[in-house]
Amino acid sequence: MKVKKAWIPIFLAPAVILFLLIYAVPLVMVFATSLCEYKLTSKSITFIGLQNYIDLFKDPAFHTAFTNTIIWILIHCILHVAMGCLIALLLYKKPRGWKFIRTAYMVPNIISNAAMGMIFVNIFNPQFGVVNSILKMVGLEELTHNWLMDTTTAFPSVTMVWFLFAGYTTTLILAQALSVDESVLEAARVDGATNFQIDIFIMLPLLKKIIGTTMVMAATYMLQMFDLIYITTNGGPGKTTTNLPLLLYGVFKSENNYGYANTIGVMIIVLGAIVMVAINKALKVNEEDY
Amino acid sequence: MKKRLTALALAALMTAGCLSGCGGGTETTDEGASTESTGSEIVINYPTFQCGVNTASPVVDQLIEEFNAEYAGKYRIQKEDVPGDANYVDKIKVQLGTGDLPPVVYGGGYNLLDLALAKDVVVDLTPYVEADPEWKALYSDVALTTNSRDGKIYASSSEGSLVGYFYNKDLFAQAGIDAPATTWDEFWQQCDKLKAAGITPLALDTADSAWVTSLWAGAMIATSGDEGYEFMKQMNPIDYNNQPTIDAFTNVQKMLQEYTTLDAIGGKYEHAANNFLSGQAAMIANGPWMIGDFSDETKTTADFADKVGVAIFPGNFVYDAPIQGYFVTKQDDPALEEAAVEMVKFFTSAHAQQVALEVQGMVPASSTVEITETAKQNYPLLVEFLDLAEGATVRTDNLQATMYPNLLDVVSQDLPLLASGEMTATEFCQTLSTEAAKNQ
Amino acid sequence: MNPAWRTLSAKERILCVLKYIFLTICVIVAIFPIAWVIMSSFKTNAEILSNGIGLPSSFSLTGYVQALAISPILKYFMNSVIVAVVATAANVFFLAMAAYVFARCQFRFKNALYMLLSLSLVIPMTALLNPVYIVVNGMGLADTKTGLILVYTALNLPMSLLILRGTFLSIPKSLEEAAYVDGAGFFRTFIQIMMPCAKGGLASAAVLAFLNNWNEFTFALVLTSGQEARTLPLSLSYFTSQFSFNYTAMFAAITIAVIPSIAVFAIFQEQVVSSLTAGAVKE
Repeated sequence: MKVKKAWIPIFLAPAVILFLLIYAVPLVMVFATSLCEYKLTSKSITFIGLQNYIDLFKDPAFHTAFTNTIIWILIHCILHVAMGCLIALLLYKKPRGWKFIRTAYMVPNIISNAAMGMIFVNIFNPQFGVVNSILKMVGLEELTHNWLMDTTTAFPSVTMVWFLFAGYTTTLILAQALSVDESVLEAARVDGATNFQIDIFIMLPLLKKIIGTTMVMAATYMLQMFDLIYITTNGGPGKTTTNLPLLLYGVFKSENNYGYANTIGVMIIVLGAIVMVAINKALKVNEEDY
Repeated sequence: MKKRLTALALAALMTAGCLSGCGGGTETTDEGASTESTGSEIVINYPTFQCGVNTASPVVDQLIEEFNAEYAGKYRIQKEDVPGDANYVDKIKVQLGTGDLPPVVYGGGYNLLDLALAKDVVVDLTPYVEADPEWKALYSDVALTTNSRDGKIYASSSEGSLVGYFYNKDLFAQAGIDAPATTWDEFWQQCDKLKAAGITPLALDTADSAWVTSLWAGAMIATSGDEGYEFMKQMNPIDYNNQPTIDAFTNVQKMLQEYTTLDAIGGKYEHAANNFLSGQAAMIANGPWMIGDFSDETKTTADFADKVGVAIFPGNFVYDAPIQGYFVTKQDDPALEEAAVEMVKFFTSAHAQQVALEVQGMVPASSTVEITETAKQNYPLLVEFLDLAEGATVRTDNLQATMYPNLLDVVSQDLPLLASGEMTATEFCQTLSTEAAKNQ
Repeated sequence: MNPAWRTLSAKERILCVLKYIFLTICVIVAIFPIAWVIMSSFKTNAEILSNGIGLPSSFSLTGYVQALAISPILKYFMNSVIVAVVATAANVFFLAMAAYVFARCQFRFKNALYMLLSLSLVIPMTALLNPVYIVVNGMGLADTKTGLILVYTALNLPMSLLILRGTFLSIPKSLEEAAYVDGAGFFRTFIQIMMPCAKGGLASAAVLAFLNNWNEFTFALVLTSGQEARTLPLSLSYFTSQFSFNYTAMFAAITIAVIPSIAVFAIFQEQVVSSLTAGAVKE
């Protein structure tokens, strides 16, 4: 297998070069400057040790943003992926119209986030939005809210902007489910297993890896979630819907404080690493099947 | 197969690109992509957000055309669209960080001048202005304050921001109101009258830094007495815990709770504008650039323009300040710097200000610029407003222009809490002060 | 595929009906946003802002005419097609190579390298802006499609790596071993045996990468200045400015941007499924 060894660096080279060009410098910069006083307007960068971290842990806005981020990751990793998985399990059996359903369900993911944000601003509009209009129509006027701007409803309302649209997850899981050998399922059917039993005991274990992948994707999607929140609530009212990227963006863009912004960046990267390792460990994604 | 070939070709290309990039990196970065000289003609690449639906777009196009005709063979401006105001600021900031700014930058309402000055990349315009009496004459005292730092002139304004408010004459008549209020007491009475007649008095917003709502707040602060007036005169104040400001935001709280539409909370400027344009709200505070919208039939009804009246704020107040103007950035090529200075001079000349006035209805930055007949015909409401503004006794810049940029988001986030009563005006001002202190 | 309705028990029938109700709701929820966008592209600005769900009062194509007049949308469209397609193809091919090695070979620091590459998934966008601008400018690729292609190929690196490694891991090893026994080389095995087996994963990765490229905004803004390399998402900014807006034209532009990508997705998915069900993966 000596020939094989020689191929390894060649196969890795393009990916590694891309990484070095685009990601390596920023990655080092984020960690390095998080230890510095570094603003857009400052002419030099001064080392200040852990001061940024101390300030960050004292910052109440960080506590809110951190908690919100964690809650959103959990919701997305568990409920959102479960929904995408359920739809994929319904569709791989190819019920009538499944191709249409599959394509239709992906459509919201094709629309850019900027447009989706604007659509939901309209849906939740307190005056003429769809939600309040329907509530009024069915005589539940007392339930109408200013959904995105009321502290009690803002968080769940913003969540709805992305929660229902599990198109990516469904597409990935479905592609995997469709490639499962038909004979395996047929054998189970001959043994008298119901559809439900096949899904739970045969299909799900086979899909474990891809589910793990979608969970990592879901988690990192929420770790980077920015534009949909920015357009719908801009983190408000107060800090109710602020998450880490939004907090970072504010510090970066309006305060021009790059050092402090990168401290938040480090927190995002560390949180991301923890979540990835946790999901991989929990679902044993790294192990080989055969 | 085809895909694979493309991919492989690209790999080769990228490797080549990488090698040349690593080899010649140091030489190429300084040049920047913003300038290129062809023969004796100097090309000024000019990125601008004044394109697309921006109302200044035709003005900029016309000025560039005139400039290129006048300086044909010598200088040429190449317009580069950067659609979206915020996108322009983002892009300039990245270029500020990496050190290759375009030769001419428009400071706009974003105070880019101070950021650029901190990096020491701005050309001192003082000698140029001093050498040209015509240019010098365009600088009023306020314009000097806006565009100079430490006694040196760095920028040149073309537009003024003269802001009062518009009202719907029909709705005022329905509520039995004859004329706009001259005092705040009268103003609140009018609001109550309108409300009693089933009319929403004010179009307000809270999102995107709450432009419309902030205008009312600033007007109340400026007319509250000396303390408030002095506060409004400060550039980048860090202490909002003063009585006039707290009182003003207590009143804003009342406005948001009682005198405006449901969708003001969380609404953007567009929503506020639409509430006024559709006749759902009786008043909106905004500048003359809105006048064009009153006759835009995709936004309102055909006869709406006739219904709109204009007023200055109670307490004889009007916002009056030149908007921070164009500045020139330091370039390796002195000839390009010269060209950029010529461009700024041209873009802020009396003629340019008149073009903006006639085409866009923009108020000139300099009071010495004559209001032309064409402008009077195009914008009768503007002429009416200019007359009223002439009589105003209190003038300041607006709250947003003087506040640190990071406060704009805070205003958007916390106004809904103020409206719901979860936050008091005192707490609101305290938050502003705390956030402002972060800039120290 | 479905068992005939009359062979089902009552319980199964109820389940079947429930299933369709659930799927119908999903489809309605999913179709709503695009339906709303298309409908809004025929309304006036006043109608969009005053009545979010009402039907347009008259059917007019003004929005589309204005969209084409205000922004160079067709030019941007072509740029987007080139940039997104090339970047997606390059990304999926390069990452398939890397993912295959990560899935099959043992070498030193493998896990550390994989973790490092994965970390790029969570680097904040704001941290990337300045360094990437300097790299692209330094290579002389500012304001070129090649520059954008390079950056987009890299932006989808972690996502594709994640998906493709999973795909290769789930392909039985026996397939390659058979190929090696037959005397096929490493590269040939990869191209002729593994790539076809991984079609499902490759397609999924390609779809995600393509959509990300198609909708990417920030780098397109920062890295381009002329009209030669600008992409479609930038055109949407032409329709809202601080004090002026044209929602009708904006939604018309969004429609123009979205419809082709839905078509591409539908056709692409069709290809994938037919290749999968044709038995390409069967042992």
